[in-house]
Amino acid sequence: MGTATSDLSHSIAEHMVMILHGAEAWFFWLLALLALMGGLFTVLARSAVHSAIFLMMTLIAVAGLFLLMHAEFVMGVQILVYVGGVMVLFLFVIMLVNVREERLEKARLFSRQWFWAMLFAGALAFTFSYAIRLADPGQAARTRTADQPPELVGRNPQGATPVSANTQQVGAALYTQGALPFEIASILLLVAIIGSVLLARTPRQERLYDQEQEQETP
Amino acid sequence: MTALLSPALAFLWQLGQPEAPASPGWLGWFDVSPTTTKFLILSSLLFIIGVGGVLARRNIIVIFMSIELILNAANINFIAFTRHWQMLGHINEHTGELFTIFIITVAAAEAAIGLGIVVSLYRNRETVAVDEIDLLKW
Repeated sequence: MGTATSDLSHSIAEHMVMILHGAEAWFFWLLALLALMGGLFTVLARSAVHSAIFLMMTLIAVAGLFLLMHAEFVMGVQILVYVGGVMVLFLFVIMLVNVREERLEKARLFSRQWFWAMLFAGALAFTFSYAIRLADPGQAARTRTADQPPELVGRNPQGATPVSANTQQVGAALYTQGALPFEIASILLLVAIIGSVLLARTPRQERLYDQEQEQETP
Repeated sequence: MTALLSPALAFLWQLGQPEAPASPGWLGWFDVSPTTTKFLILSSLLFIIGVGGVLARRNIIVIFMSIELILNAANINFIAFTRHWQMLGHINEHTGELFTIFIITVAAAEAAIGLGIVVSLYRNRETVAVDEIDLLKW
C-alpha cells in the first residue's frame, strides 16, 4: 500500500470512528457525568428512596445517550418502561417494605463484604481497561474501511429528516429477524405476571386457597 | 517567548515525522472527542459501580437497583456498537437495538418477580437485609 492511500484510509477511519460531533460531544460528556454520578449515588445513598431517585437520574441520562446515538425508539422504550414502569414498581415496593432502619445512624448500610466487593470491582476495572485497549474499535475500523465508499464518511445515514425512520426500521427488524424472540418475550412477561401475583399472596389468601382445594378433592 | 516558540517547534518537528502517526498509546485516553471507545469506558464504569453495589450493599432492593445499572451498561454497549456499525455503512443494522429491547423486557420481568419475592420475604421475616436472609424455609 502506497503512502497516499494509507494516509487517506487512516484519516477516513479516524473520521468514521467518531460517532459524535460538535455540540453533541458536550451533551455526551454532560450525560455521561450525570449517569455516573447517579449510579454512584444509587449505590451509596443511605435511604432506598434516594437510591431509586438517583437510579432514575441515571436511566434518564442513559436515555439521552441513546438519543445521541440515534436510537430514538429505544430511548422511548427506556423512558416508558424503565422510568415509567420499573422504577414506579421499585418505589411502591420500597414504601411497602420500608423498615426505616436506615434512618438510624447505627444501622449498617453495607454487608461487611468490602474486601470482596473492592477485589471484584478492581479486577473488573483492570479487565475492562485491558480489553478496551486491546479491542479498540478504531483498530477494527482502520482494517475494515479500506473498501468503504468515501461518501459515507462521517455522514449521518438517517438524520436530516424531520421524523426519524428509526422506529420503523427497528419495528421491521423486530418482526423479521427477531420474530421468535419477540413471541418468547411475550410468554416470559405472562409468566412474570402470574409469578408475581402468586408470590405476593398473603398467608391468609394462601390458607383460603388450600381449604378450597381440600374441599374440591375428597 | 516559549509560548510562541513551542507551537512552531512542534510544527517543525511534525514536518520531520513520517506519514500516518502511530497509535497515541495511553495518551489517547485524554482525547475528549466521544468515540465508540468512550462509550465503552462509560459503560464499563457503570458496570463496575453496579457490581460494587451488588456485592457490598445490604438492602436487597438496592441490590436489585444495582442489577438494573449493570443491565443499562450492557444496553449502552449494544447501542454504541450498532451506531458504530451504522457509521461504517451498514445503514439497516438494528440488531443491537433488538437486543436492547429484549434486555429491557427481561429486566421488567425480573423486577416484577424479584420485588414479589421481596414483598413475600418481608411479610415472613420483617427484614430486607441480605445477610439476615439465610434460609429458604423457616
